[in-house]
Amino acid sequence: MLKYKFYYLRVCILLGLFVFLSPNISMAQENDSALYRIQERGTLIWGADAEGGAPYIFPDPENPEKYIGFEVDLADAIAKKLGVKAVHKQNSWDGLVPALERGDFDIAMNGIEITDERKNTILFSQPYYIYTEQLVVRKDETNIKDINDLKGKKVGTMSGTVAQDILENLSGVDVKIYPTQVEPYTDLAIGRIDAVLLDLPIAAFYGKPNPELKYAGEPMGEGLYGIAIRQEDAELKVKIDEILAELIRSGELKQIYEKWGLWNEAQDKLYEQVQVKNGYTNANLEKSQRTSISTFFPALLKGAALTIFISVVSMTLAVTLGLFISLIRLYGRAPFTSLATSYIEIYRGTPLLIQLYLLYYGLPNIGISLSPWLAAFIGLGMNYAAYEAEIYRAGITAIPKGQMEAALSLGMSQKLAIKRIILPQALRISLPGITNDFIALFKDSSLVSIIAMVELTKTYNILASSTLRYFELGLITATLYFGMSYPLSLLARRLENRLKGKKGVV
Amino acid sequence: MSSPELTMITVKDLHKSYNGNHLFKGISLDVKKGEVVAIIGPSGSGKSTFLRCINGLENFQKGEVIVDGIRLQAINRSNPSKEDIEVIRKIRLKVGMVFQQFNLFPHMTVLENIIEAPVHVLGIDRNIAIENALTLLRRINLENKTDSLPEDLSGGEQQRVAIVRSLAMKPEVMLFDEPTSSLDPEMVGEVLYVIKDLVGGGMTTLIVTHLMQFAREVADRVVVLDKGDIIETGLPDEIFINPKNERTKSFLSRIY
Repeated sequence: MLKYKFYYLRVCILLGLFVFLSPNISMAQENDSALYRIQERGTLIWGADAEGGAPYIFPDPENPEKYIGFEVDLADAIAKKLGVKAVHKQNSWDGLVPALERGDFDIAMNGIEITDERKNTILFSQPYYIYTEQLVVRKDETNIKDINDLKGKKVGTMSGTVAQDILENLSGVDVKIYPTQVEPYTDLAIGRIDAVLLDLPIAAFYGKPNPELKYAGEPMGEGLYGIAIRQEDAELKVKIDEILAELIRSGELKQIYEKWGLWNEAQDKLYEQVQVKNGYTNANLEKSQRTSISTFFPALLKGAALTIFISVVSMTLAVTLGLFISLIRLYGRAPFTSLATSYIEIYRGTPLLIQLYLLYYGLPNIGISLSPWLAAFIGLGMNYAAYEAEIYRAGITAIPKGQMEAALSLGMSQKLAIKRIILPQALRISLPGITNDFIALFKDSSLVSIIAMVELTKTYNILASSTLRYFELGLITATLYFGMSYPLSLLARRLENRLKGKKGVV
Repeated sequence: MSSPELTMITVKDLHKSYNGNHLFKGISLDVKKGEVVAIIGPSGSGKSTFLRCINGLENFQKGEVIVDGIRLQAINRSNPSKEDIEVIRKIRLKVGMVFQQFNLFPHMTVLENIIEAPVHVLGIDRNIAIENALTLLRRINLENKTDSLPEDLSGGEQQRVAIVRSLAMKPEVMLFDEPTSSLDPEMVGEVLYVIKDLVGGGMTTLIVTHLMQFAREVADRVVVLDKGDIIETGLPDEIFINPKNERTKSFLSRIY
């Protein structure tokens, strides 16, 4: 009896606890989990670099605004299983893992090799592809038969790859590191380097089709590609592993690889059955080299529009902040004047590129995460503010002292005199310089491509590296830049001429 | 000495040095309401600096300037307090100043130059300010230059506009800092004519000038400055005909 009562009490307590806690537990899970966010949002955002990205992800030669590639197909397949849409987010390959960690996308999938080092910071899904490293040399090369013949040779590879690790562990090899996978093969073909070691899919797409190049030796150094997931999203990893297993069992993954000619014996370890090796076709690259150049215009114009937008917003920030800084420097009180001077000196004395890296990749280390847009505006705007401040200062100091004295002796406060008398005259002097800086900013805006902004220069890089049409596309891109900056140049000249005509102003 | 309520300007024991150069070593001067004082002396004697101390365009280290009861003392120029700024502003509202270089605002028309301060400092209605400005322009025969830019005016015209720009603020004191020194000779007359007209109306006036004949004509009193010191002061006739100080004598002999 007593025993029974005790049991009843325990059940009540347990039930009560369960009722009390369970909604909280499930709610907490729903709100915090990446899986919940993905489903709520209806999109799976995945990061990958489309620049020189074939056959992983690259612009469709028929419609360059659309990306294709085996990873695009895989992302779509995974998203479908999750009941959402896959959305690609452009990010430089080097920066994929940091960008994943700062939460720019849900997963990163871009031929990221599973390494112990990377496992320290991120989770990997189960492997979705087994890659090998392939050595490529020039057709006429007879001395290099495999990786052991590389001593004293210049060998190209891509930064951050397993191939780079392999090369650096060989003694006596002169390793040349490239940012994307296109340039090593072009440099190899024209004789700047002696060999290229990169993942087989890359070699198959960029190396093999080149009539001047050939494979040297057998594929080697087997490794695994995995989908990178943030450490706290373990639940998402479990789900993606399930989905990958399903795709493998159902043969869907194999279909994707067959479509892209990436199926080979090495994939046996992912699959039970042995398949016949397919030769890799390079129809896409050939097709993209034949398509009319005008197919690339929409993508380039979109990039140009973004360039204009970034430049206009950044310049607005620069001229406003610059005016503020120059006024503090000229009329401010003791500690603030030196602060303004330091601002100018520091911003002018350090590279804009480093400032952008600090803003975008550095600030998250101390808990401040800026969106690419904000980082671009602030980065360019604050940098140019330093230059504008100096232009304003030159304009203000060019106004004769008597102007301020006359204004003050009429009873104006210093503030009113600056606003009504000094600035209207100084701005007219500063305007040509500011217009010239606007032209410079237009071109410097290409630097924001490093922080995941696909503006004109980045668009060019992506298109050119996937088609190898660097020359034609380069001319078009340069023409677009010129078309945007030349009107400004004319405006600056007109302003300068008008100023010269006015003797009374200076 | 005159009774205090009739004194417009008092400068007491003024000390000023700049760049290690001790210019004023305790200079003092009283100016009565309605009095016209001409300040003469060799160049570099501190005439302009003295004038500019009165409306706070120059700072000084010791002593005081009192204009119509408002007391300005030595202030910290690099970091002035709110009170100091307020005192200087009050004085400037009572004191108009005309410069050697005219200093018209080149980005504004003649009319805009004149109404700028009445509208933005005194808050006078723009239409009323324009009416006042046109009245003043008629007085100097420049009503046809209303919409001209300063660069389109002759030097003499510019200086006349500068004078009425000051007058538009209805000052109680006018300071003229060598008003004709950068004018071509044929334009000096028209400017002097305007100043005489003004002085005739009873305005308290201090004029720094090199034109001795003019000083003699308009001034109630002449002050002779040399090396930052008032070496002689007196009626124009006394100073010009019968100067007592040796330095005054040598200065005048060099001019005439």
